[in-house]
Amino acid sequence: MKAHEEIVNIKLNDTQMRENLSNAMHTLQKNRFKVIEDKFQDWQGLRNKAKQAKNNALMSLEERLVEFEKNATKNGIKVHWASSDEDACELIYEIMKENNISKILKGKSMASEEIGLNHYLEKKGLKAIETDLGEVIIQLDGEVPVHIVVPAIHKNRYEIGKTFQEKLGAELESEPEKLNAIARKYLRDEFEGLKLGLSGVNFAMSREGAFWLIENEGNGRMCTTAPDIHIALCGIEKVMESFEDAATMVHLLTPSATGQFIPTYNNIITGPRKNGDLDGPKEVHIVLFDHHRSDMLAHKDYYEALRCIRCGACMNFCPVYDKIGGHSYQTIYPGPIGEVISPNLFGMDKTGDILNFCSLCGRCSEVCPVKIPLADLIRKLRCDKVGQGENPPFGANEHNKMEAFAFSSFANLATNGNKWRFSLSKGHYFNWFVQNFKGSLPVIKKWSAFKELPQIKKDLYKEVQNIEGVIYE
Amino acid sequence: MMKKVYFYATCLGTAAMQETILNAIKLLRREGVEVIFKKNQTCCSQPSFNSGYFKESKRVALYNVDLFEKDYPIVVPSGSCAGMMSHDYLELFKEDSEFERVKEFSSRVTELSQYLDEVLKVEYEDKGEPLKVTWHSNCHALRIQKSIEASKNLIKKLKNVELVNLEYEEECCGFGGTFAVKEPEISNAMARAKIQDIQNTGVKYLISGDGGCLLNIDGTMRKMGLDVRGLHLYDFLLKRLEGVRL
Ligand code: SF4
Repeated sequence: MKAHEEIVNIKLNDTQMRENLSNAMHTLQKNRFKVIEDKFQDWQGLRNKAKQAKNNALMSLEERLVEFEKNATKNGIKVHWASSDEDACELIYEIMKENNISKILKGKSMASEEIGLNHYLEKKGLKAIETDLGEVIIQLDGEVPVHIVVPAIHKNRYEIGKTFQEKLGAELESEPEKLNAIARKYLRDEFEGLKLGLSGVNFAMSREGAFWLIENEGNGRMCTTAPDIHIALCGIEKVMESFEDAATMVHLLTPSATGQFIPTYNNIITGPRKNGDLDGPKEVHIVLFDHHRSDMLAHKDYYEALRCIRCGACMNFCPVYDKIGGHSYQTIYPGPIGEVISPNLFGMDKTGDILNFCSLCGRCSEVCPVKIPLADLIRKLRCDKVGQGENPPFGANEHNKMEAFAFSSFANLATNGNKWRFSLSKGHYFNWFVQNFKGSLPVIKKWSAFKELPQIKKDLYKEVQNIEGVIYE
Repeated sequence: MMKKVYFYATCLGTAAMQETILNAIKLLRREGVEVIFKKNQTCCSQPSFNSGYFKESKRVALYNVDLFEKDYPIVVPSGSCAGMMSHDYLELFKEDSEFERVKEFSSRVTELSQYLDEVLKVEYEDKGEPLKVTWHSNCHALRIQKSIEASKNLIKKLKNVELVNLEYEEECCGFGGTFAVKEPEISNAMARAKIQDIQNTGVKYLISGDGGCLLNIDGTMRKMGLDVRGLHLYDFLLKRLEGVRL
């Protein structure tokens, strides 16, 4: 891991990445506005409904999970439980070992990134190959996703052409159609003779014992239908009660993510191939994993983040994200939702520094389709980080003593009118600021590195009393 | 009956933007409103709140609740501080025994342009030359206090002023209180993007209703040596009404 400042500087200086991101994010923003405007009559109502449906599922999660297991098993799906990230990896590894499989193909799945599956399998000498176009590109480049929906959005088509030339020995191309053709050929070769496909899950329905996958390329469908065995990896918070609830979410998901009205592919998986079916896997497994989600569910505030449907809208609209890119967050979930869940999933000590990546502008909360109050939660996590929270995520043990001292002095001053007035009428603002924050925030230096300081000429207290009709008391 | 209000100068206004504060008070006086200026007023506690120091923020909030005890509207010339006191205080005290007291206080907080536009329904006679300006929306004013429409309405009452909207108006300028000093490089990148957006309009004056954003954007534009100037809404309004050249 690189130091926070170092990685921020590297990314800020990557002008190509910033240009790619800024263009892409503005396009995604416009698409979203347009589809909501053109196609929806009651977007806010739909958001409320989705929030309600998801909260219902979360409030009865234990019941939902038991019900899902029962009905999925009835449908012939093999249900596995994992509490930690390691457990989940181990389970998948076991299935591979039992079936003598050394290579799997993967549809897009943030869950697999979260548990570090590729790395885990690699260490055991096994191979996991990505099939989502964006994931293919970054896998070839040895990177991790920069975004949860569009993993290679920081690269433009010329850069992608180069990657294909270098890593796949293809002709140098930059036209999207030609690039697609190169990827298709590469993947077709990989799909041939495939035994095991892995996917994520968008929504699991407990009443039906089935799960729903959406995607745009069709490669995900290949992973779930072509091989003999399909394993789906699913965080426990993805289980909802009914098909109708899940449908509500799907209606919000694609417009929020890419501005599409509906996804290109809807895959609803109800079990393995039945007698008489012409295709489909012979075995379907689902790995339901916790990885600190039940800790979040028990928290009076952070449970709200479990509503997340991974649409990426919060990062598409984040003014910090498009300046520094997803890799600066140094965890698999970037942007506002990443700031909220990463400390909860991976520990405050490991990821707490990313809580600085937020000006609290509140745009993420405004666009989140399931109304997660992201900005409020980021602020609450800061409170946990400085040691004032009642029930902080694990790893929140180190606190900045100098900063704490500065803010306690601030509060002393701000609750004493005489002292406050004295210090403000004497020095100019930045002087006062520096006096009170010295040690923890070298304010003037950091401010004036990029901005002119204001000129202070007046003593407000004196002047105000000279205005006729003002009661100065 | 004569209207009477508390005026909340904000810490930034008191310390760094006194002229703007005086002009804001004059805008109220023009309409015959009596203004109470509490000399012991301090800060809304936004810096500590946003940094996660909730304990300190509560102390400061309750100090304000005690200080502005009478039943007058509390008029704030900043959407950011108004949003903090009218909305974020409620969040801060959500589970507190003091909640009702705080709520009563919060319900009286309003942003100055909301007070001028919605309560006083002011009518303005523009005495300035024809001019094009653009507008920066402060995030808190836009999403929390929801005072942007009122602010823009005031500008629209000026018949010689044409308001040109920024393409990415709803994007943060990178001030964010302590954010600008905790992540100065990122903040600068955000300010530069905002300035690019401003330059794309070709307009020479940027108006905004919030001191922090203005210090940030105008300070950066000055450092860059640009010929675009940032002006606070209340300075701008008073100048137009008095026919003073910009
Ligand atoms: S937090 Fe909301 S906006 Fe962000 S990815 Fe999740 S659902 Fe989408």
